[in-house]
Amino acid sequence: MTYSSSLSMNRSRFASQGRNAVSFRATETKLGPVSNSIILIVLACLLGLLYLTQVTKTNAYGYEINGLQQQHAVLKSEHDDLQVASARLQSLSRVQNSAVAKALVPVSPTDTLQN
Amino acid sequence: MALPNINSAVTGVKRVRIWYGFVVVVMLIFGVRLFYVQVIRYDYYKTAALSDQLKQYEVPARRGVIKAHDGDGLLPLVLNQKLYTLYADPTYVKNNQNVALKLSAIIGVDANKLQGQLATKDTRYVILAKKLTPEQNTKILALKFPGIGSSAIDYRTYPQGSLAGQLLGFVDADGGGQYGVEQSLNTQLKGKSGLLKAITDASGVPLAASSGNIQTPPQNGKDVVLTVDLAMQQQLETILAKGVTDTKATGGSAVILDTSNGAVKAMANYPSYDPGNYATVENPSTFQNAAVSYPIEIGSIMKSLTTAAAIDQGVIKPNTSYYDPSFFMVDSFRISNIEEDGGAGQRTIADILNLSLNTGATWELMQMGGGEINLKARTAWNTYLTKHYLFGQPTGIEQGYEAAGYIPGPKENGAGIDLTYANTAFGQAMTATPIQFAGALSAMINGGTYYQPHLVESMINGTQTVMAAPKILATNVVSAGTSQAMIPLMQNVVQKHNFNVRFDQTKYTVGGKTGTAQIAKPGGGYEDNEFNGTYAGFVGGDKPQYVIVVFVDKPKVSNGAYAGTAAAQPIFGDLAHMLINDSYVSPKSR
Repeated sequence: MTYSSSLSMNRSRFASQGRNAVSFRATETKLGPVSNSIILIVLACLLGLLYLTQVTKTNAYGYEINGLQQQHAVLKSEHDDLQVASARLQSLSRVQNSAVAKALVPVSPTDTLQN
Repeated sequence: MALPNINSAVTGVKRVRIWYGFVVVVMLIFGVRLFYVQVIRYDYYKTAALSDQLKQYEVPARRGVIKAHDGDGLLPLVLNQKLYTLYADPTYVKNNQNVALKLSAIIGVDANKLQGQLATKDTRYVILAKKLTPEQNTKILALKFPGIGSSAIDYRTYPQGSLAGQLLGFVDADGGGQYGVEQSLNTQLKGKSGLLKAITDASGVPLAASSGNIQTPPQNGKDVVLTVDLAMQQQLETILAKGVTDTKATGGSAVILDTSNGAVKAMANYPSYDPGNYATVENPSTFQNAAVSYPIEIGSIMKSLTTAAAIDQGVIKPNTSYYDPSFFMVDSFRISNIEEDGGAGQRTIADILNLSLNTGATWELMQMGGGEINLKARTAWNTYLTKHYLFGQPTGIEQGYEAAGYIPGPKENGAGIDLTYANTAFGQAMTATPIQFAGALSAMINGGTYYQPHLVESMINGTQTVMAAPKILATNVVSAGTSQAMIPLMQNVVQKHNFNVRFDQTKYTVGGKTGTAQIAKPGGGYEDNEFNGTYAGFVGGDKPQYVIVVFVDKPKVSNGAYAGTAAAQPIFGDLAHMLINDSYVSPKSR
């Protein structure tokens, strides 16, 4: 027995007892097969929408991650360039050829070291 | 009120049922189709979809950098830098002359050459320049020339220029280490590439929502800290280059080794090269670190080790004297000394080293055999050569293409084995590299412990530093007593030889031994007028702290027979003074 057929049976029983069937019918709710189908379809759509929302949101994070990774790569490259520049500035040949080094006067070894 | 028409209600229900059935049928069709596509043709469609969407990238590992000591700190010798390759697709380039002129102003390449490259029509890819700096790349991209692009490539960069070039080696275009430390430690330096396998969008950006993405992070290469002292290395290279140039030699090598742990503090050859421009080197042998990979007949510096072996066996004493006949006949060949050493007479062990008597070294070998060169003598000396001094085998230093050298076996039954062995007593008829000799001499004068000569002090993996403990390859190389006895004998040699600036032995301990070796001809025999000069010695305070080995290849000195004294000894002297004057050596405490 379906839900709607059981309601129909109940209505017949109340009518035979002289009750106000009209006002009673006004409160009845009918859900036929079409409604059920529509509700199911809407629910499926909602679920699909929810899924798509989450997937899109997650993928958006992916773009954010990709952007940050590119930024990291650029910063890393700049860091490497600075490290190279710093090392070149400290290189022995550069120090040796600097104006300060050229102005230094060679000192002969003292007899504390050699005789 | 009219009663509801039962027929129309029934018709309505039927219509709904028809639609319902229709929907069910349509859904069934969809279902069947989906089953076909998603289950039966699963593999086909998955492959088709993934071929467009699934991208696989190799995430390159960062190659480890190489550092060395600069005073109390560390300075990088090798770094990584992203440089740019400039290319063109000539089919898209318009107004070649204008493009060539503007690019030429930025990259410094001849505009006519560029214009010619841009006019090439039979290719879509022309490389215009390599190793452009980020600044140059930015300027070029800002011009927005159609058909002109650039790609970033990681290069090894050498902030110290050619300093320690042969010791470092280089990295080839395929990312493989070649020669030197780069080759020897290639596995540790290069790390392991990572993998990114992901579903991507049309522009190649990975979609984070894909559950099938695989991301394996790269394992970066380890950073390497060398034992080398940069200032010492710089001075050694300068002194060696001057010494080789002054004597018009074809080349030379020098090594400074810490006697307390086998750490190489400086090592170089001349000529050398700049690993940043390795492609311009014309002679591939220049890539070799000759101090490690070029075995030579080391000449009379061997006499110090022969003497130590004889003392250690108890067959002679440091103060023994003997009658030297000025020549020995061995296997019908005459072994003699240079004329300036005087003729026959009573000699001491100190004389053998100071006058570099070939007959003295031969006599020492004889004592190992009970008074003659025989199997016992050969076996005893061979044991010292191969088991104590570890000649004839690579030291294991972190360098590519290390040579083993050659020591003849004691039981070889060919004619002249006694003569061969007599020759080995003064450093001929055998070969060894300067690093092998430095390791052996260090063991001989440090009390008898052979520390493996090494260049790596530590490796840094991320934040974790792993120190490389000195490795002992042999103990009791000679006894402590022998070691102590050899120090004054070698100091005596330094005292009795002329140096430009003499050494104060009351404050410092400086000893050494010259060597002049004949050069073997490829077809047998020796060159008549070409010699190699060698010098091996030590410098320290209370005890020897550093061993120095110098090799000069075919110097043009007035008397070739004195190549060791004339060409190698001055380099040793300058290096020893450098170590003293720059306070690398602590003076004697008493």
